[in-house]
Amino acid sequence: MLKKAIRTHEFIIFLILVALSLVVGIINPAFFSVSTLFDTLRASIVYFIMSFGVLPLMIAGGVDISFVAIAAMTSYTTHMFLLKLGYEGGTLLYFFIAGAMGLLAGLLMGFLVTRFNLPVFNVSLALYTMWYGFNLFFIGATANFDLPQGTVGYYARFLVTAKDPYVGQTGLHVSIIYAVVVGVFVWWLLKYTIIGRGLFAIGGNKEVAIRSGFNVNFIWMVAFALMGVLSAIAGVTQGFLSRYFNPVLFITQPLDVLAGIILGGASITGGRGTVIGTALGVLLIQIINRALILTGIPVQWQKLVVGIILVVFTSIPAIRAQRARRLRRTTEAA
Amino acid sequence: MAEDLLRAEHISKRFGGVVALDDVSLTIRAGEICCLVGENGSGKSTMIKIISGVYTPDEGDIYINGHHYKRLTPIEAIHEGIQVIYQDFSLFPNLTVAENIAINELLASGKQVVDWKEVEQIAREGLARINASLPLDAVVETLPAADRQLIAIIKALLANARIIIMDEPTTALTQREIQALFNVIRELKQRGLAILFVSHKLNEVMEIADRTVIFRNGKKVLDQGAAGLDIPTMAYYMTGRRLDTSAVTFEKIDETAPPLLRVEGLTLHGGFYDVSFELKAHEVLGVTGLLGSGRTELALSLFGALPADAGRIFIEGKEVVIRSITDAVAHGIGYVPEDRIREGLFLDQPIADNITVTLIERFLRRLGLLDLRTKSAEAERWIRHLEVKTPSGELPVKTLSGGNQQRVVLAKWIARSPKVLILNGPTVGVDVGSKVEIHELIRQLAHQGMGILLISDDIPELMQTCHRILLMRAGRIAREFRREEITEQALNAELVAAATVESR
Repeated sequence: MLKKAIRTHEFIIFLILVALSLVVGIINPAFFSVSTLFDTLRASIVYFIMSFGVLPLMIAGGVDISFVAIAAMTSYTTHMFLLKLGYEGGTLLYFFIAGAMGLLAGLLMGFLVTRFNLPVFNVSLALYTMWYGFNLFFIGATANFDLPQGTVGYYARFLVTAKDPYVGQTGLHVSIIYAVVVGVFVWWLLKYTIIGRGLFAIGGNKEVAIRSGFNVNFIWMVAFALMGVLSAIAGVTQGFLSRYFNPVLFITQPLDVLAGIILGGASITGGRGTVIGTALGVLLIQIINRALILTGIPVQWQKLVVGIILVVFTSIPAIRAQRARRLRRTTEAA
Repeated sequence: MAEDLLRAEHISKRFGGVVALDDVSLTIRAGEICCLVGENGSGKSTMIKIISGVYTPDEGDIYINGHHYKRLTPIEAIHEGIQVIYQDFSLFPNLTVAENIAINELLASGKQVVDWKEVEQIAREGLARINASLPLDAVVETLPAADRQLIAIIKALLANARIIIMDEPTTALTQREIQALFNVIRELKQRGLAILFVSHKLNEVMEIADRTVIFRNGKKVLDQGAAGLDIPTMAYYMTGRRLDTSAVTFEKIDETAPPLLRVEGLTLHGGFYDVSFELKAHEVLGVTGLLGSGRTELALSLFGALPADAGRIFIEGKEVVIRSITDAVAHGIGYVPEDRIREGLFLDQPIADNITVTLIERFLRRLGLLDLRTKSAEAERWIRHLEVKTPSGELPVKTLSGGNQQRVVLAKWIARSPKVLILNGPTVGVDVGSKVEIHELIRQLAHQGMGILLISDDIPELMQTCHRILLMRAGRIAREFRREEITEQALNAELVAAATVESR
């Protein structure tokens, strides 16, 4: 059992995370601090939420990049709308309105994919462009820094606080709870529901999934709706954490998020992927970001490093398969 | 007399202007293994789809367990206990054995939440039904075809099947696995299930059938107990002609001539060890052995796809180095792969382009442009020469039947006039009629002076084409036979003996 756990993809990613942290910590001891831990987690929260939303789609074999645009569209539109109304309340209404919009955006995409049997990636490419265009054309083209009274202090609302020798008072933001709740929910959905198993089934062999009696279109719709809602939550959370709402939020990030999911062991062709792996993949990318800053390596190196790790990781299954084939031959020949 | 579980009476089915089935009746009885035999296009697939509810017949009646159906839906067929095991086994490659077995039951229960203990329990019960033991948490794609087939059978049993239809079930199996499958089938028969075994491998039909039904061109031409039926009779009913294989003339080989291909001590670690042989012009040399005996690796190695780790290769007396497919092609070696769909053809591309792809540099003009007229003329020549049955060379290859597709693969390599042609399972999945023609073609090629290395585990095929046969076992050449020194039965026994040695 233990031996099996050690051979999993998640464990390898975890080892890389630990090794990387050790190296960075030795070069710059400032890395081993509570504040680094809290900051890394804070920066990861929205990526956790978004990637947990995209993971079920990828397991079913659909590659989406429009989630970032949904995050931007729902959060920015909600903010500008409430600002016009003179809303001064708390964050909750933001999540509800944006969440509902995200749900609709997800269902729209699901409708296009299931009704017309279109490839997910093509639809998402169109919607990615469309939602950003919608923001810039109808809502506004500049970032907005005016927050309602009830949400101003939210960026510094901490779950736990600690004293850090380097930076003084530091805290872990409460929205980490959202990421954890979402993660547990998606994990449960994938492992313990017929919908979740259906996602794996569709990603494994769509024809057989249909023949076996999975309600394939319904399962797709659920996955798209979930992606839409979680993207909206991530967009709003990002707005409050950074204290401004941006019409082109995350516009350069969709591939970084997908990279995290793939690093975490999900297959772009579907059928494979875990919540734990995805979380570790997202964390790894965040730590690489930080590590390069703390060790004084130019930031430009970040993309190169992530790229190299991705190349290595995407080749691992192929190398393993080759070795397994050779081993099988040898045992038969022995 | 056993109980009739299913009677399909006077079934006719047309697709557009094509008559797929013409007034055909079929009875399936409890505790009986009925073999349905026919060439590609004979209507056997249509019949399977009609009795499983996928197609609605234009005319005729279906009676199952005494219920009368004019039109049968797939759901009704399943409720009546009809289960079809297709060639792809209909499994999820990325899920575990347990989940694959249990998935239908889970879906049928209508529950939305998965209880993994229940999944495991269903899987255990399923395995117990055929006394199989498979690792429950293994991912299905890591299992061999035989195990995946067992899972498909278990799924059918768990769905309360009374009639199990197996569509070409032995295609992906080795000899040993086929025997294991037959044991399972006989076991199911003992328990009163009806098996409809659909195949065109006549030696298997001989072995397993209680009753044999043969279709030809949409008509039933034979329906009788297996006793007293022999392979030539079945082949006659299948093809409508006498396939005379006894009077085959073999090309004479000049024994004193220097060998075309000589291999010395060729070794690929994990594949084969210390393989040496000679191949002369005009000679057909068979290489046989079980899956995993190294035969396919040897072929791929000579073709440069899996370059050997040690050993020497000589062509026409000169030593050559083959490190890549390009090297092999340059030295005049051609290769017809085992899996023509995946490795041998561009299915969506025109037949003509598939044939000329290996010759493409011959049609280059100045500026690197292609001379399309010469190219299509060359393709037409090969289509005629090899009698590929198609209205036009511009149609995609996937419109052809298996036998004709195989001709296109052959044409592609023969067109280059290689000195040595390696054929890996050239008639796998090809019906009897085309098979005989492909054998004739192999003999013709040898007549023209090519040296042919034929990798196959089809013993009659080896006996009808090869001058010599090498038997591989555990990566080494275990025996060498001259065709005239051995009989089919003896060769079969050698092959099975190899199986028992390896399974230890």
